[in-house]
Amino acid sequence: MKQKLFVALAVSFILVAIPVTAFAHGARITYQTRTAIEITAAYDTGEPMEGAQVTIYAPDDPSTPCFTGVCDENGRFTFTPDLSKPGTWDVQVRHAGHGGIIHIPVGEETAAQGGTCYTPLQIVLMAACVVWGLVGTALFFARRKA
Amino acid sequence: MRKNFIPAALIFVLVIGALLTGCGGGTAPETESQDVAKTGTLEFRANGEDFIRQGFVSKDGWALAFDHVYVTLADVTAYQASPPYDPDKGGDVQAKVKVSLPGTHTVDLAEGDENAPPILVGEVKDAPAGHYNAISWKMIKAPEGPAEGYALVIIGKAEKEGRTIDFNIKFDQQYAFTGGEYVGDQRKGILEENGTADLEMTFHFDHIFGDAETPADDELNVGALGFEPFAALAENGKVDADTAALKARLSPADYQKLEEVLPTLGHVGEGHCHCEAI
Repeated sequence: MKQKLFVALAVSFILVAIPVTAFAHGARITYQTRTAIEITAAYDTGEPMEGAQVTIYAPDDPSTPCFTGVCDENGRFTFTPDLSKPGTWDVQVRHAGHGGIIHIPVGEETAAQGGTCYTPLQIVLMAACVVWGLVGTALFFARRKA
Repeated sequence: MRKNFIPAALIFVLVIGALLTGCGGGTAPETESQDVAKTGTLEFRANGEDFIRQGFVSKDGWALAFDHVYVTLADVTAYQASPPYDPDKGGDVQAKVKVSLPGTHTVDLAEGDENAPPILVGEVKDAPAGHYNAISWKMIKAPEGPAEGYALVIIGKAEKEGRTIDFNIKFDQQYAFTGGEYVGDQRKGILEENGTADLEMTFHFDHIFGDAETPADDELNVGALGFEPFAALAENGKVDADTAALKARLSPADYQKLEEVLPTLGHVGEGHCHCEAI
């Protein structure tokens, strides 16, 4: 079919917070803030992929699904990735014999920090080089005046 | 003093430069060489799905059974693409590793029984380990064999309301398909050292004939030709037509629809491919 069923997957990040209330009859209620990812799957006609199967793979185990589920009536599905597993999370969405896959970077800021190409030794040497150059230049001009 | 200063400065700069050289490049080649050392067997398969193996009912009520569906494949290449290939954007696949299957292969997608596995086109035994997340292939005219001169040959029988038609439909249109990661029940293309992984070139024939089990207003059926236009070409209970005959005898609207759906045949499982006419 010309139906290049192209799965348009829009991704947005939301914060899911479980609010703290009060203690009552010994209940202990705590909360933690997590980063969740919401995907929206639709055909290229714009029709939501209601009931589409969602399979999510974490970067540390690309063979085994980490999460599975089904899109709601608006083609949406939300999951909370484990932020201790930075990298590309792959999300596959399928329905009625057609589907697609999207690749979502998680924790890229961490990767960016880890991606610097200078070792500590190189950084120290560069700093020493700059300082030595400044001092040397100053001494050079100071000697000429003298 | 000044004479001593310049050579000393030069030596200092050279030493610092040598220490700083190799920034960022030290680990990548090492990783790449380690990957290359680890190899496994990568299988390339072609799949006409249950539509071909088991037959199906077209959108206009013809029960189709297939004796042979010959497709000729060439330049079959698997990629460890980075970034992942996006068929909607098209273009070349960017990959650090790619593995090609040599030769031209004519396969019969209807081979085997109704539960037969996808057809093994060929395999590469020393493929570097890694995740093959893209594949490209060409569908070209067969240079020899039962489909000689044609890229796609569909042979079978159609039945509807007591009427039976034997059909032999031959296409000479050639296409280059490029797909991203396989979309299906199981993830494919993850090759571990000494292991075996497979990639699949999937062909969706319901795009040509439509599917009675899909709603009539579904985009699949709206875009499909159905079988009735082919049935109208039957003489003595047989349809034997190639691309030229179809162009001459189908209505212009039907032929145009056919030309529009042929490039959508190629898939990676349930994921569609980018297609260019050759």
